[in-house]
Amino acid sequence: MAVDMSMPVLVVDDYNTMIRIIRNLLKQLGFEDIDDASDGSAALSKLREKKYGLVISDWNMEPMTGYELLKEVRADPGLTKTPFIMVTAESKTENVIAAKKAGVNNYIVKPFNAQTLKTKIEAVFAE
Amino acid sequence: MAIADASHFDRLVDFLKQKRENVTFHDIIALAEVSAQSLQSFFQAMDAKVYGELREIAGYIETMRHEIGALQVNDLKNTRIPLAGEELGAIVQATEAATNTIMECAEAVMGADASDPAAYKALVDEKMMVIFEACSFQDITGQRIAKVVETLQHIEERVSRFADVMQAKDIDGFLNESERERAERRVKFLLHGPQLSGGGVDQAKVDEMFRDPLRMI
Repeated sequence: MAVDMSMPVLVVDDYNTMIRIIRNLLKQLGFEDIDDASDGSAALSKLREKKYGLVISDWNMEPMTGYELLKEVRADPGLTKTPFIMVTAESKTENVIAAKKAGVNNYIVKPFNAQTLKTKIEAVFAE
Repeated sequence: MAIADASHFDRLVDFLKQKRENVTFHDIIALAEVSAQSLQSFFQAMDAKVYGELREIAGYIETMRHEIGALQVNDLKNTRIPLAGEELGAIVQATEAATNTIMECAEAVMGADASDPAAYKALVDEKMMVIFEACSFQDITGQRIAKVVETLQHIEERVSRFADVMQAKDIDGFLNESERERAERRVKFLLHGPQLSGGGVDQAKVDEMFRDPLRMI
């Protein structure tokens, strides 16, 4: 399945620079409708207000982590199928396993490059 | 050395072994005298031991006072740690400012109209120069980091020496509620932070785990 470049994408990170980097990379890939949130709870509010085609989230944020956000999304019948990519510096095996068990679609370890982001997005929509 | 010695009570035992038909007031006074004399040597021995122990405690307290002084806690608390904090704050600001500058340049170049090659090249040249200038933050932050590392080494040396001299043993628990909450949050939400080389898995390993979920078991 081809990636729909017109779908809204939600970028969740508590670090403005990282949001800006991901935004620019997504724009370069052709995405136009990009929103952002600074933590899991802010992201959850946005997800319940607008239909997003993809969530790209950091893990370590306060007050709500990306891991909690992922579990909330999967537990919400209206959001449960939303593709979710974790982009994080948390690179312990137990983190990857926990994210996978919680239903993440893909996992990117920071620091990452544009090609990795592109490949993972394509892989999620090829599933 | 045992404080209670059988010899201390010999005279008292001998006195009590003597048969007496009718105990008189004189006998009671005599018993009290013998008791006092018997216990005198006992208390003398005990005094010497207690005195020795008190001297030992006083010596320990003196050593501890010296070592606490050597920690230079006021210097650490009032000067070195706050300065290290300020240096780290300045590092964060400098890296953030440099990152913003570089990203602004990159965004300007990406968004520029390339239909006029000469104008486009001039813009790219100008932005590249700004990027070079912004990268100079690395020199200053390197020096600031060196100062913070020096402070950490200073603290490490003093704390290590103190722990060795005091033969300190760690106890479980948390200093306060906030420390406990932070620790519990790290465990609950698997917050380990960035790993040093070899401490975590790289992207290739993550991809392998996603391709073959059995590897996750």
